[in-house]
Amino acid sequence: MALLILELEWGQRNNMKVYNQENYHIDKSKFSFAHENKKITDSKFDTKPTTFAKDAFKRFCKNKSSVVAAFIIGFLLLGSFLIPLIDTNDIKSVHPDQSLLIPKIFNAGTGFWDGTKKYNNIAYSAEDEAPLGFKKDAIISMEVSGIEYINQPYKYALGGYLKIATEDMLQNKDETFDGKIKFLRNYKTFNYDPIYNYQLNVNLGDIDNITDDSSLGEYRIRMQTNSQFIEIQDWSKNFGEISINLNDIVKEKVTSAQIRFEVKPQINKYSYLLIKNINISCDNEEINELLSTISFDDANAAALIQKQDNGTFPNMYWQSNANRDIYQAEKRSVSFVYDQYEDVFGKRNMALGSLRLNEYIEKGWVEYDYNIGPESFKVLDENSPVIQIYSQTYDSTYDIYTLNADIIYYKYIGMKKMPKYIFGTDISGKDIFKLAFSSLKTSLLIAILSSAVCLFVGLVWGSISGYFGGNVDLVMERFCEILSGVPWIVVMTLTILILGNNIGTFALALCLTGWIGVASRTRTQFYRFKGREYVLASRTLGSSDTRLIFKHILPNALGTIVTSSVLMIPSVIFSEATLAYLNLGLQGVDSFGVLLSDNQQYLATYPALIVFPAIIISLLMISFNLFGNGLRDALNPSLKGSD
Amino acid sequence: MWKYVLKRIILALITTFIILSLTFILMKLLPFPLGVGNENEQASYYNHQVYLGFVFDSKVPLNGKESLWSYVDSDRISHYYYQVPVMQQYFSWLRNIFLHWDWGVSNKIMPNVNAINIILSRLPNSMYLNIISVIISVPLGIILGIIAALKKNSLTDNIISTLVMVFISIPSFVLITFLILFFGYKTHWLPPQWPSDTAPISQKIAAFVIPVMALSFGSICGYCRFTRAELCEVMSSEYLLLARTKGLTKKQAILRHALRNAMVPIVPSILAEFISILGGSMILENLYGIPGIGDLFVKALNAPDYNVLFVDMALFTTISLLAGVLLDISYGFIDPRIRMGAKK
Repeated sequence: MALLILELEWGQRNNMKVYNQENYHIDKSKFSFAHENKKITDSKFDTKPTTFAKDAFKRFCKNKSSVVAAFIIGFLLLGSFLIPLIDTNDIKSVHPDQSLLIPKIFNAGTGFWDGTKKYNNIAYSAEDEAPLGFKKDAIISMEVSGIEYINQPYKYALGGYLKIATEDMLQNKDETFDGKIKFLRNYKTFNYDPIYNYQLNVNLGDIDNITDDSSLGEYRIRMQTNSQFIEIQDWSKNFGEISINLNDIVKEKVTSAQIRFEVKPQINKYSYLLIKNINISCDNEEINELLSTISFDDANAAALIQKQDNGTFPNMYWQSNANRDIYQAEKRSVSFVYDQYEDVFGKRNMALGSLRLNEYIEKGWVEYDYNIGPESFKVLDENSPVIQIYSQTYDSTYDIYTLNADIIYYKYIGMKKMPKYIFGTDISGKDIFKLAFSSLKTSLLIAILSSAVCLFVGLVWGSISGYFGGNVDLVMERFCEILSGVPWIVVMTLTILILGNNIGTFALALCLTGWIGVASRTRTQFYRFKGREYVLASRTLGSSDTRLIFKHILPNALGTIVTSSVLMIPSVIFSEATLAYLNLGLQGVDSFGVLLSDNQQYLATYPALIVFPAIIISLLMISFNLFGNGLRDALNPSLKGSD
Repeated sequence: MWKYVLKRIILALITTFIILSLTFILMKLLPFPLGVGNENEQASYYNHQVYLGFVFDSKVPLNGKESLWSYVDSDRISHYYYQVPVMQQYFSWLRNIFLHWDWGVSNKIMPNVNAINIILSRLPNSMYLNIISVIISVPLGIILGIIAALKKNSLTDNIISTLVMVFISIPSFVLITFLILFFGYKTHWLPPQWPSDTAPISQKIAAFVIPVMALSFGSICGYCRFTRAELCEVMSSEYLLLARTKGLTKKQAILRHALRNAMVPIVPSILAEFISILGGSMILENLYGIPGIGDLFVKALNAPDYNVLFVDMALFTTISLLAGVLLDISYGFIDPRIRMGAKK
């Protein structure tokens, strides 16, 4: 034909007459065979042949989210096996001292995931220079969140005025008041020698009419000795900062001197004097040292000083014949960021046995001589947990020294550096990070084990039931229905009660009802495909049931079944967690459900304990679902070779 | 058709009977639930067990058997209580239920109160919760599914599908944990626990929000995914193409042909969902402290109070079987081509 057209074209091109078909004759010699001496054979394909698995893999890789999910699953799997091996944190025993730590990755003070916790409105203790019950060293930043003024001495308050008030008032101007004067004087006396320079600085509060029936009264300052009173300042109503050079007033030498503030009553009103601080100083160092113990800066602290246990008063004591009240001392509450790790693992003061110290001396970390005492202590190596020794006591019965020392706790318990628990720790001080992955390992192990068993049993059962249908199906289906109808909790409870609570039992118990899902899915797939024409065709050609099942129906159903079996793994983990929430969880092994349900009670107080494991389990579930979906698309035979 | 329906119902009833019998026997194999309380309470508990036929009262101690409990009554007569064989208990149980409708009394949760009454008193809470969640989740799920299917492979579809994937994967107890954490403890918008009976009505209403959210997120996503998948399949079918070729607008084609066909498998699952309204979600109720039958289950399991547990289980079993039957039957009604359980 091609030749014919060629001839025609040639004819047309040469302006030849186009003939009718009847009288169109071509000379036989003009025809020849196109492929007369050629052999036509099949040529080899240039492209490589693809297998079902390769094709499925290619299509799986096209689904980006599934690939990501597969990687996440891979990482989690790898993590669950490697992290318990690599991480050296102890999760077997209980560490009460490091319980409930906040998660930490970054250094404290960075403000994010740094193991610090913000506390609000905690009472501030002026004595410790830290909030009540907290360590000064572990505070990252602190600000005053509220100041409350109180009018009585309070251990944790700050500043204010020492208030000396009269208990009487005068009826008229002429009434004598000598017996009604109230005074305040230092308890510890000092010697006054005019060759030195003495200075008295006092800050008197200028707040009038605190109550309706009282106001600032007239006061005077005197120097009291054993025999006489020397007037330093006569009755006055001069308040505020008062500075007096004693040398200007007292010219002679005085032994056992006391500075005495007096306040006198007034007409129809109670009087009071407010003293913020008293500072007596001298240019002789020895005397000045004594005077500095008499002086006070903090009125509240001064008012709190009381008689000692042995009946004497301390040097700083100021005595008065009136109540030593406090006016407007600051009771602070502070908000602060607290480094929990420093609190637990940082510096702490504790009693150290000499045995322990000897160990450090042997290692050459510290130098210490028991005969000399704390002065001989020297740190030689930075590994040394002990950084300071304050005192030592000797117990002769056991020949043991007990030392009061400052130590760095993490070095003391044998850690090289300050630990960082990136997910924090639980109530018993176990690292949640390691615990989570170790639990994941257990859970995955149970899941994979029972999924495999369930898949096998379910596949066989579902194939038979779906393929044969009718009465076989009816009986098998009733069996499944009954088994799945028995609440699986009962099955689990009984299995666990009878066989004990270990991984094997758990996997078995999960298998007892778990295969039913696979079976019913397989059955549905068989119902879907067994009536198809290609099955009928194969049957007509004499295929056996085995061939029909394994060659024609099962491969078509495989996608769905594989997907469902992949999805079984998260569902088993879910079941395991459910059981743990019902208090039927695994005993003696870390499992994810137990981890979650145990920490559920700290949801309000320590949410990190539950949030991180919850995120891991959610991530796992999402990844398995995405992975399963990708797998289903990849294994779907109707999509084979597409794209 | 009616024959098919009748067959399914009868089969379901038989299944229920067998399951309950099996559960009863299995549970009787567990250690006997001992009575608690003072002597009078214990005596009345054991006498009730004798009345039910699970225990017999011997006036003399039997050799080689340890009695469950013994006491001397006001007439100075000793009573020794022993468990009767399990199968004998089973027949007593059958007799009690079919003749007296007596399911036994509680021994731990509310001692000597009829188990049925305990369940009935807790049923409303679970029901309200489930009704609200079904009412919210079914329309929302289907609408989201339709939107996703109609805008297939667009940004909207991707967002919906991703969210569906995330929420369908997260376990409900994790979800409610996060919800409690965020709405209860962080922002204080909603109560973090189920309020007491004396709480103001606004608190009680607010307390429904978290559990309903936790319950419905899952089913919204389920319906959405199901609807999207079905609708996508229908949308690519030839008869829809024909409908469009005939001159129907896209809206007409979708409403009259695509949606109707896509709803075939969805409607039965909605019907089944309505049956499961009666059921409670054990962990969800337990975590939020809702006094429903799911919470009762956990409490009865841990007490342990086997009678209450058994009645609770019986309720759950019956509900799930009924739902299954309804699902199968409604398939048949909606699409007569489908006969679940037909021959090859």
